[in-house]
Amino acid sequence: MTDATGAPAPTHWQHRHLLDVDILTRDELRTVLDLADIMADRRADTGTSRPLSGRTVATLFAEPSTRTRVSFELAARALGGDPVSLDASSSSLAKGESLIDTVRTLEALGAGMLVVRHPRSGAPQLASEHFGGPVLNAGDGWHAHPTQALLDLFTLRQVLGDARLATAKVCIVGDVLHSRVARSNIWALTCWGIDVWLTGPTVFLRGFEAWARALPAGRRLTVTGDFEAGIRDSAAVMALRVQRERLEGAGAPSEAAYAARWGLTEERLRRHAPDSIVMHPGPVNLGVELPPDVAAGSRSVITRQVANGVPVRMAAMALLAGAHA
Amino acid sequence: MTDGRVPINILDPGDGGLTRGGVIGHLAIADAWLVDPVSGRSGRGSIVIEDGRIAELEWAPASASGPSPSVVVAPSFIDIRAHIREPGAEEGESFASGLEAAAHGGFGFVASMADTRPVVDRPEVVQRVLAAGAASGSPVRTRPYAAVTIGREGTNLAGFASLAAAGVVGFSDLPAATTDAAMLRAALSEAGGLGMPIVIQPDEPSLTAGAEANEGLPSTILGLRGASAAAEVSAVSRAVAVLRQVSAEVPPDVRPHLHIAHLSAAGSLDPVRAARAEGLRVTCDVAAHHLALHDGWLGGDRRWSWEAASSPWAGAQAGDPAPYHPGTRLDPPLRGPEDAIALIAALEDGTIDAIASDHAPALAVDVQRPFGEAVAGMSSLETTLGLVLETVDSGRLSLVRAMRALSLGPWRALDGGRIELPEPSLRVGAEANLVIFDRADHWIVDDVMLRSRGRNTPLLGRSLPGRVLLTIARGRLAWQDPDLD
Repeated sequence: MTDATGAPAPTHWQHRHLLDVDILTRDELRTVLDLADIMADRRADTGTSRPLSGRTVATLFAEPSTRTRVSFELAARALGGDPVSLDASSSSLAKGESLIDTVRTLEALGAGMLVVRHPRSGAPQLASEHFGGPVLNAGDGWHAHPTQALLDLFTLRQVLGDARLATAKVCIVGDVLHSRVARSNIWALTCWGIDVWLTGPTVFLRGFEAWARALPAGRRLTVTGDFEAGIRDSAAVMALRVQRERLEGAGAPSEAAYAARWGLTEERLRRHAPDSIVMHPGPVNLGVELPPDVAAGSRSVITRQVANGVPVRMAAMALLAGAHA
Repeated sequence: MTDGRVPINILDPGDGGLTRGGVIGHLAIADAWLVDPVSGRSGRGSIVIEDGRIAELEWAPASASGPSPSVVVAPSFIDIRAHIREPGAEEGESFASGLEAAAHGGFGFVASMADTRPVVDRPEVVQRVLAAGAASGSPVRTRPYAAVTIGREGTNLAGFASLAAAGVVGFSDLPAATTDAAMLRAALSEAGGLGMPIVIQPDEPSLTAGAEANEGLPSTILGLRGASAAAEVSAVSRAVAVLRQVSAEVPPDVRPHLHIAHLSAAGSLDPVRAARAEGLRVTCDVAAHHLALHDGWLGGDRRWSWEAASSPWAGAQAGDPAPYHPGTRLDPPLRGPEDAIALIAALEDGTIDAIASDHAPALAVDVQRPFGEAVAGMSSLETTLGLVLETVDSGRLSLVRAMRALSLGPWRALDGGRIELPEPSLRVGAEANLVIFDRADHWIVDDVMLRSRGRNTPLLGRSLPGRVLLTIARGRLAWQDPDLD
């Protein structure tokens, strides 16, 4: 079965929403990635397939974001959809309207697909229970950021290649505790078979050793307080954004102390992970997680991650639209 | 009527029939399983009620043949802690709806918390609450707690003596934590002089600020702000230390009494046991949901705690119930299965005195929110018995212990005699305060059956054992199963 563009239409996509990547199988991850490959090639020649044609895609952002929202809107537009955006500062959410009422209103206004970002973990789940169409989680609290994990996996496969990725070690560095990017990447990367390591200040690793022990058999997750052991021989090191208000908090290092101890300098990378690429979900605190030379250097694939956001989100939206056709 | 599972044939109301709210003129119950918490005796037998009193009681010889009857007759339950929203938020729960829910749950007495609007911190409010209870028309008895501090604000001690004289059962600022140790010291001393308990929620707020869930694997996976068990355990230890000091400094005829509400963490049990061993007056309760449920429920796990203990929830599986059900947001939070198992053992060994409903009904508008913004609490008066019976059926808790923790335990912790509450026993001549339920008959937790205005429970749609056939309070009919009409 193929669609109008000749792309293989996935026959086994059963999910109504994309709230996290936790329940996706490896085959399903591959389906998204393969479709994203096609979307990336096709973005240039517009108009061939428009699975969202005539559909309004509402993006409801109850938390500030630029790149993720724009990325979703470009993806919706590229698939023929009409993106409509609501942001926290201007929407009725700010005036005390409940999330459920806002979601119902958007549906009544004709939105057929909903993209939600919210500071509370679980909010997209709640939205999905009160919205008739597919809901995509664009980041909820500390919980999940599924499209970020998918674009990270997509970027890893694109840069490292399938064969090298299969045996690769990937290290996630920083404030894992408060990171939805880390959580979704733990699900997606361990599902793919990648050897995932977590490292950072001990207060930011709380609880993850227990998670590592509880992962399904065959998945590899190692938690270490030893930065060098964490990044040693990694194929990729993913730095997490460290929020200023979280540093200086209970038990956390100061910004300067963080940079000194956990900053991904070229010197450290050269010594411990000479072949590693450097990733970051953005926006980067230059000089904290990464020095400017590394962020802009040859190891960095940060710009590519941003660019890949569009085809990966196109793939996710197309699959959900198909599941709802 | 469900295929003869409700054995109406053993209930004989005689010619008069039964009238809700009315004194039971005659009711004979043949061949039931009787449980007497005072003597600890349980077994087959029959019971006859005449004019609101137990007129006859007959225990069958131990050699009686045939399978044990599934219908249980026991003293009606005494709820040591429930939140009724009257005055101030009757739309959430009035005494009329709350006491009917209590009767449906098998309760014949409800101690209501002081966190109403206005707060129960003056005798006039006590009178208002007692009048509301009386006006409900329910024969279920009820009395309020008064606040420890005026307005539950933690700064000025309420006037305990006048509140005691007005008829409160004790003092509590719940659900606020009593964080000021000096205030706790003064309160234990003052209430001790009146022979009344101070009821605390053990919490160390610096460890639970902003918390949405128990700190554990589910909170890690779900990205929820965790409340560590250390917050509860350290607060229990500190409260016991304060009690020790107060007990040593008051006159010898005063015995300060600390009651610790809803223990949830296994680590809290050791300081309680140690305090008991040295003779301090510490009592404590646990909510039924902290026995049967666990923090995996936040992720969509719907196994009982003893089923989940060997393989705790570690992530969603396709097809699971949705995570983040607001009815699983509780304070204290649902803990790990191993905590629940330890609490059940502590009930069985007597460390925990009472099972409380911890009934906290909430309006849909207050719970249909993102998880961390949902009001914490569960509408639980009607599901407490079902969860307790599931625990009994798991083989970890005896029926006698369970019935005792629902009646005699709280009666003693409240000094029932002081508040004119009859001792919960099966005794000829006593006022009939009884619950009659069928362990083998399940009912569905739904709008048809629930009488509480609160629908905030993760048990909606679930089948629970222990259909309550009749609840009798003050010799009157408080609840009759609709199928028995």
